[in-house]
Amino acid sequence: MNKKPTKKMEFRSQFAFVFFCLFLVALIGNLFWLQIINGEKYRLEAEKNQLSDTVINANRGTIYDSNMKVLAQSASAWLVYINPSKISTEEQKKLLVDGFVEIFELDRETVEKKVNRKESGYEKIIGQIDNAKKDELRKYLSDHSDEKLGLIVGIDPDTKRYYPLGSFASTVLGFTGSEDTGRAGLELKYNDILTGEAGRIITAKNALAGEMPNDYETTYDAEQGKGLVLTVDEVIQYYLEQQLSQAIEETQAKYAYGIVMDVKTGAILGMSTMPDYDLNSPYKISSNTVIEEIEKIEDSAEKSKAQNNALFSQWRNRVVSDSYEPGSVFKLFVAAAGLEEGAITTTSTYNCTSSIKVANYYQHCYNRKAHGTQTVAEALPNSCNTYFITLGQKLGKETFSKYFEAFGFTEKTGVDLPSEATPVANKTYYTVDRMGIAELSSASFGQTFQATPIQMITAVASLGNGGKLMTPYIVDKVLDENGNIISETKPTVKRQVISEKTADTMCDLMEQVVVWGTAKNAYVAGYHVAGKTGTSEKLNTDDMCIASFAGFAPANDPQIAVLIAVDEPLYYATGGSGAAPVAGRIFENILAYLNIDPQYNDEELAQATTTAPNLVGEDASKVRSKASGFTVKIVGNGETVVSQMPSANQSMPKNGIIVVYTEENAEKQTVTVPNLTGLTLTEANRLAVNAGFNIKIAGTTQGAGQVLSYKQSIPANTSAETGAIITVYFRSSENITD
Amino acid sequence: MATKSKKNGIISTFFNKGSMDIPFLLVLMTIVTVGLIMLFSASYTYSYYNRGSSTQIFTRQLFWVGVGLLLMYIISRVRYEYFRAVAVIGVVVSIGLLLLVLVLPEYKPGFKRWIDLGFTTFQPSEIAKIGLILILALLLERQYKIVVGKVPSEMVVCRRIEEMTNGRLVIYKSFTTTILYGVIILTFAGLVFLENHVSGTVLMLALGIVMLFLGEVNNKWFIIAGIGIAIVGVLLIANPDILKEYAGERIVAWLDKDYEPLGARWQTNNSLYAIGSGGFLGTGLGQSKQKHLYVSEPQNDFIFSIVCEELGFVGAAVIILLFAYLVYRGIKIGLRAKDRFSALLAMGIVFQVGVQVALNIAVVSDFIPNTGISLPFFSAGGTSVVILLCEMGMVLSISRSARKKE
Repeated sequence: MNKKPTKKMEFRSQFAFVFFCLFLVALIGNLFWLQIINGEKYRLEAEKNQLSDTVINANRGTIYDSNMKVLAQSASAWLVYINPSKISTEEQKKLLVDGFVEIFELDRETVEKKVNRKESGYEKIIGQIDNAKKDELRKYLSDHSDEKLGLIVGIDPDTKRYYPLGSFASTVLGFTGSEDTGRAGLELKYNDILTGEAGRIITAKNALAGEMPNDYETTYDAEQGKGLVLTVDEVIQYYLEQQLSQAIEETQAKYAYGIVMDVKTGAILGMSTMPDYDLNSPYKISSNTVIEEIEKIEDSAEKSKAQNNALFSQWRNRVVSDSYEPGSVFKLFVAAAGLEEGAITTTSTYNCTSSIKVANYYQHCYNRKAHGTQTVAEALPNSCNTYFITLGQKLGKETFSKYFEAFGFTEKTGVDLPSEATPVANKTYYTVDRMGIAELSSASFGQTFQATPIQMITAVASLGNGGKLMTPYIVDKVLDENGNIISETKPTVKRQVISEKTADTMCDLMEQVVVWGTAKNAYVAGYHVAGKTGTSEKLNTDDMCIASFAGFAPANDPQIAVLIAVDEPLYYATGGSGAAPVAGRIFENILAYLNIDPQYNDEELAQATTTAPNLVGEDASKVRSKASGFTVKIVGNGETVVSQMPSANQSMPKNGIIVVYTEENAEKQTVTVPNLTGLTLTEANRLAVNAGFNIKIAGTTQGAGQVLSYKQSIPANTSAETGAIITVYFRSSENITD
Repeated sequence: MATKSKKNGIISTFFNKGSMDIPFLLVLMTIVTVGLIMLFSASYTYSYYNRGSSTQIFTRQLFWVGVGLLLMYIISRVRYEYFRAVAVIGVVVSIGLLLLVLVLPEYKPGFKRWIDLGFTTFQPSEIAKIGLILILALLLERQYKIVVGKVPSEMVVCRRIEEMTNGRLVIYKSFTTTILYGVIILTFAGLVFLENHVSGTVLMLALGIVMLFLGEVNNKWFIIAGIGIAIVGVLLIANPDILKEYAGERIVAWLDKDYEPLGARWQTNNSLYAIGSGGFLGTGLGQSKQKHLYVSEPQNDFIFSIVCEELGFVGAAVIILLFAYLVYRGIKIGLRAKDRFSALLAMGIVFQVGVQVALNIAVVSDFIPNTGISLPFFSAGGTSVVILLCEMGMVLSISRSARKKE
């Protein structure tokens, strides 16, 4: 015992120590490799790791209409996916399926299918979930951390752009693509403003469950995207879209375009290209006929090309990006130039013999009609080609070109929408030095050059705005994340094109076009609509035309301008028959919506409407005296009135019929609706009243001869309650060509 | 033997008045101090987040270090002869605790390493390590002659074998005792393995081998052991599935550096990012970014990666050298000891620390597969540091009884 350590032990301990030291040297060598040789690589990896985990996404700004109704909105969301190839046990499978079904209320079978795709590395479980659901999932994963579910399940940031109104104003708003960037429309034009800037948190976040305490955070705040308030009014836009859809239905046109503009500011109140598409699924082709056509293509490359073209076509805001020959609507500017330059007066006359020889060709009026001796106040309503050819020649190409430029046809309007078509000299229009007598003559009635719908309405609006050409705009305000106004668009006057006096004269002339000229179907009782129609042949498509109308109302104090263009209509293929009625219905709706008081003339007053008096609660015997002027029909034997048709304050004809019920639960009286179309105003009224209905007149009732009804709000041969109001639409079929 | 003083009577038989090995004490205190500072730096984020106070882990550790240093001083004053008695008790206690932990409810699901004492938890394997060192030191002293000598075994079985082979196969006592040691070591290691504690098992085996090596067991055993370890190692690397699921996966994760970056390799990758971020001089004390919960449990097994990030290559190398010096000094103390028991005990203890340091740093720097092993004096853990400091007390006690230079 107690023997001191031997030499051998000393040797062995030294041997062991050397062995130990060699291992330490290897470790230090390894550290040298990690820290000195590859240090930079790991440092970058560490940084990437720390930063990539902590990006704070900026929310994309909201787009509102002028009434602060949400048109486009983003919500930050999360996307949950799994990597099924990492599932190793049945227990994990069961936990995953149970968890997903419980938390996200998913269909068990669908989830099971995804979980069982062993060879797959990525299966999306659910996208666009909110924070609460995400936290619930995180908790579930950490509760089962022993099963290592965290290795299988991934959660990625996700954002969802919602368009609450679907296809509403789709070609104007546009949509966002991947990574939340605008792909079309305002989403594209204002992408930078809407996007904001992502922020970062420099410290770590807990890899297991949640966020770090604030003490350890260095936060670079995300700059939230800014909101846009548009000049577009949801109600006006709705009327516009509704009427354009109806126009396509009636005329079987390929497209219909429309713009509603504030005459005084250039603010766009409504803008639409029909057919439109659903912003919430922009990659779905909206037109069934287009889908059918594409389905017929056999070659897959051709097919996908056709699909792409169809998509780009449906996203296109044709009002801004496409140009057309404006045709007779352009005569307005020739007339304005003539009056401004003193080349004509309102009383100077010209004799139209239906044709005029220009260079070696004869130019004719529409349908080769000879208009005879007329002033500008007749030539414009007649849309007389020879008159304006002569006027154009009288002005000369220099003066013509001066006004052409002054009305804004050689430049973009500068509207804040993407892809506005750029006029190109000697391609979309002739410059002075390239313009011959033939070109000048054709240009005088709106042919041989191209203009965009937005250019046309801006120029037309200047006639109603005392000759001031405005820069059109669609974004009214930019808001910060708290809804404070950052910037507001001020209306910009581009230039004074013609004098106020000439502009006023033009308003009167344009009103005549609607009162008795080619645009008479745009007439709205009580409102002084001013406008001009045009029918222009399409250069690249045989026998196809664009029927258009542009104008404003009220003529004595212009407020809103409307442009309607129907592209390639099969029926009603003139501006007066295809576009003017559409504009008329839009004017009627919008002017009433804007609370612009109607001013009826005597004839209109006779047909004017009133509101139904309130008869409910009245003594049955006194009802007739209370509702004097109306035809009153009493149903039942009760002593007091319990209900009435039409109900109180509803708009109805002055001499209409009111049905009152004196017993509770009395059966409503119903009658079969007569066919009220194809009739004159008097005939339609008589038939309706005889059947026990009230009639509301819509559309023009002016002018001699052929004003006939063409549409009724309650279809014929259906049953309707006695006393109901049927809107009957009238239009003129005479002298509305061009 | 120390001289007995009549004046002090019983106390002096218990009390060791010799002077401690000052270099050993100095390097130890340096390591403990640096360890505490680094623990605070590495732990405050984790502590704030998980314990509600950024100093909770540090103050707890500080308290246990205080307790440990007090116990160290007391033990250093105890005559090392008494440790022999402790060795016998130690083996019983160790085995008892290792069995107990297997039947107690699991403190952490799937792992039976910890015994929950309410105010703290402790790992019986920490006790077992010193238990194994003590019992082997004692046996290797008592049976020194047998181990190195050539005395035929008197066991019946061995006699029978000798008879049957007509004396051609003589089984010596050295053989049977070595087998006995092997059984002891494998019992300890086996019980730790049942705890689902691979690193503890490896450490236990390594300690046993070091003790037998220092105890002058015949070379051929180590050659056989070396070949055996090599075969097992190759087998495991080739077929990681042999081991239990999690241990096997760690081997796979070590071999394939691109394996599951968010899963099995997440811990190691973040450790490497921290180490690499340190560069030559480090980001500076307290400046680690990776400790902000990227490195999992930075106050524990992976504290060295934060050390590397904050103190750089230079700091890390210095700390490794400090530990090397501690081991060197411990060996010196052992070689100057008065008897084989204390020599083996001192050397066994410092090698225990050394092996643990080497394995920990190897894990943190992805030099060997990831396995849970703490860094002595750095990693948080009350019982661990108290037991370590008690062991240091034993070494210091032995240093007090050193032979005068001959």
